[in-house]
Amino acid sequence: MNGHNGFGDSGLDEDNFGESSALKAVKAFDVFPKTKPSYTEQTNSGGIWTIVLVLASIWLGATELGRWWVGETTHTFSVEQGIGHDLQINLDIVVHMRCEDIHVNVQDASGDRILAGNALHKDSTSWVQWGNDRKLHYLPKSKDERLDLSGYPGFGEYREEDVHNYLGAARATKKWPKTPKLPKHVFPDSCRVYGSMEGNKVQGDFHITARGHGYMEMGQHLDHKAFNFSHHINELSFGPFYPSLVNPLDNTVATSENHFHKFQYYLSVVPTIYTTDPKSLKKYTDKYHESPSSGEDGMKQHHKRYAKDTVFTNQYAVTEQSHAVSEMNVPGVFVKFDIEPVMLTIAEEWASFLSLFIRLVNVVSGVLVAGGWLYAMTEWAKEMRSRGRRQGNGGYEGILSPAGPSANGEKKGF
Amino acid sequence: MPAKSRFTKLDAFTKTVEDARVRTTSGGIVTVTSLLLILWLAWGEWADYRRIVVHPELMVDKGRGEKMEIHMNVSFPRIPCELLTLDVMDVSGEIQTGVMHGVNKVRLRPESEGGGAIESKALQLSEDDAAQHLDPNYCGECYGAPSPSNAIKAGCCNTCAEVREAYAGVSWSFGRGEGVEQCEREHYSEHLDAQRKEGCRIEGGIRVNKVVGNFHFAPGKSFSNGNMHVHDLENYFAGGDGIEHTFTHKVHHLRFGPQLSDEVVTRIGKKGMAWSNHHLNPLDDTEQKTEEKAYNYMYFVKVVSTAYLPLGWEQKTSVFDIPSELIKLGDYGKGEANSIETHQYSVTSHKRSLTGGDASKEGHSERLHARGGIPGVFFSYDISPMKVVNREARSKSFSGFLVGVCAIVGGTLTVAAAVDRALYEGGSRLKKIHSN
Repeated sequence: MNGHNGFGDSGLDEDNFGESSALKAVKAFDVFPKTKPSYTEQTNSGGIWTIVLVLASIWLGATELGRWWVGETTHTFSVEQGIGHDLQINLDIVVHMRCEDIHVNVQDASGDRILAGNALHKDSTSWVQWGNDRKLHYLPKSKDERLDLSGYPGFGEYREEDVHNYLGAARATKKWPKTPKLPKHVFPDSCRVYGSMEGNKVQGDFHITARGHGYMEMGQHLDHKAFNFSHHINELSFGPFYPSLVNPLDNTVATSENHFHKFQYYLSVVPTIYTTDPKSLKKYTDKYHESPSSGEDGMKQHHKRYAKDTVFTNQYAVTEQSHAVSEMNVPGVFVKFDIEPVMLTIAEEWASFLSLFIRLVNVVSGVLVAGGWLYAMTEWAKEMRSRGRRQGNGGYEGILSPAGPSANGEKKGF
Repeated sequence: MPAKSRFTKLDAFTKTVEDARVRTTSGGIVTVTSLLLILWLAWGEWADYRRIVVHPELMVDKGRGEKMEIHMNVSFPRIPCELLTLDVMDVSGEIQTGVMHGVNKVRLRPESEGGGAIESKALQLSEDDAAQHLDPNYCGECYGAPSPSNAIKAGCCNTCAEVREAYAGVSWSFGRGEGVEQCEREHYSEHLDAQRKEGCRIEGGIRVNKVVGNFHFAPGKSFSNGNMHVHDLENYFAGGDGIEHTFTHKVHHLRFGPQLSDEVVTRIGKKGMAWSNHHLNPLDDTEQKTEEKAYNYMYFVKVVSTAYLPLGWEQKTSVFDIPSELIKLGDYGKGEANSIETHQYSVTSHKRSLTGGDASKEGHSERLHARGGIPGVFFSYDISPMKVVNREARSKSFSGFLVGVCAIVGGTLTVAAAVDRALYEGGSRLKKIHSN
């Protein structure tokens, strides 16, 4: 140790100013070989190389940082906890029949019948008012059609789900749009049924049928010519009402010329949570509270109901079938839904700050080491080339010339 | 010095001749700090390597012909054991036969006396225990009803239970058994009256086929009348001694399949995102109260198969290869190396009065309840096609651990070298300025 210090006497005098012996001892641990400036050589190519390496590590570090910033989206599933009771159904549908001619009901597995007609609003309207300037579409049949949800940014089928899209959409207005005013002298030929209602959280059948058909006790018989179950679905969703979240049946239209036509939809409802704060969600998920995904009742019991970072909702898968039926059957719009026991959680998580730091360190050091190696190899290759050339010239100098530094120096000439 | 080969230039580990080396205090500090950092990070890497994580996987349940055990512990403080029956039915409404069961009825002291247990008796799902101390030639009368097929002596009704069975067989109401010799001998009505104030707890397990079905607790003997499943409700509705029976009940415990151990549950819960995957039975320790006699509770249960495969588990033989009859009740689903095949469930509860009416009490006046039916507590269960497999695994392999350590050592040292170099250069610049 002393020997080394002695060597560095001239240049490093100041190191010894007021230096304690403890610090001197620490000095012995220095494993990083530094060379006195007089023994090192700085070259032009080395400088350029350094700049390239720095740029490379900045670029890689920046992408790493970007990836960390975006976060990682995880999809987890679990069996739904808590004892369910109710399920909120949000509906906005326009049927091409007059309001007094239709009945809206839900019949479910518990044996209850829900007079949905009493819980929902009915507005008389005109069929032509719906569907002109609105982006309506038939339920997509082919894969291409499903993928082309150009009207809904971020919601295409195979697009990666960005939790923030859903959080943003959930924050938007929660009001039902107004029914457009009927123009003068236009006879209302359609009925808009809209609103939210609570059903039992069991398998059920939601249906719109004609007065006097299907349910025996209701009203008098309706003329078969008045039947027209063509309909627009503006909104059909389950759970808390988020009009901006797009569901598969939203803005779809189904038409038929037949008077006796049966439209059937089969829905599988999957409770879903979108969150950017999965860790705190853990604290609030317990079995004594109803799942907030089921609607207002469940939301009331939940601590996180107003949290900005979590959306409790339901997704659903739908299949559709429609066909003309004989006069012996009951025509109408039938929505059969069943609730899946497995709940999805789509969470966006950030890795810890420490792990980001480690990755950055790894990136930078990796680039430096690999870059140093590459530099040495390019230098070697160059030297080999120049040596070969000089040998070709027959000069003696080439063999005698010192290998390292001079080659570096000569490099500029090439 | 050895002769310089053409590979000398390739040396990535250029060495400074000892004479040209400089050691500085700042360099030493950087070295010690980076060493400590390396140790700390490597320790973290080691902890990560030793950690066992549980990976939940979702797959389609491909099992066939499996059984499922239902373990329950439900108490009814307002119904005596004598009145309460448990029926297990499959999807078509047939009473399941040949189910393996070990259910006990525990008589509970009246609620006013604190509700402790009095005696426990094994419950027979279909037949009742034999009459004793009777003349071997005795043949009891069935009072006009045909003798039950499972009578001890063909064509006879030797016990009160058999007379009740015979009545149930032809859908006659049995009542309190007055004027029926067998029942008076067995003091049926006195027993019933004596028990009026008592409650009943039903605890134990049954093994059923893993198909959609239901089980229910209802009063009185049940019998099938055509396609209808009917219970003899007379004694339940009559009450007596100022007692009104109701189906107030408390579910202490209800699970489908074996219970995961607490250790396993915490382990599943430990993983950051598995917060929602813990295995809990949502109905445990829940209570429902009513003052109405004709009241019906329904639980819609969706059962999801769940497997837990611990570390070191290898598929040798399936748990389900052994004929289920050979496995003791309560052990079904417990495999080798502590692997467990069980079920989780989600549940929706529903209640209604048998008189119908609407749900305006709960604020849903548009909801019309069905009328009629049987008072009782019904569990109808549905089997989900999905299966959750919780598989234990090491979060890293050994080579992964080594790679991690190398990355830590290399990365830290390189960055430390750069830091040290910067300090050194900065220091010597400063000195130069000073000396000038």
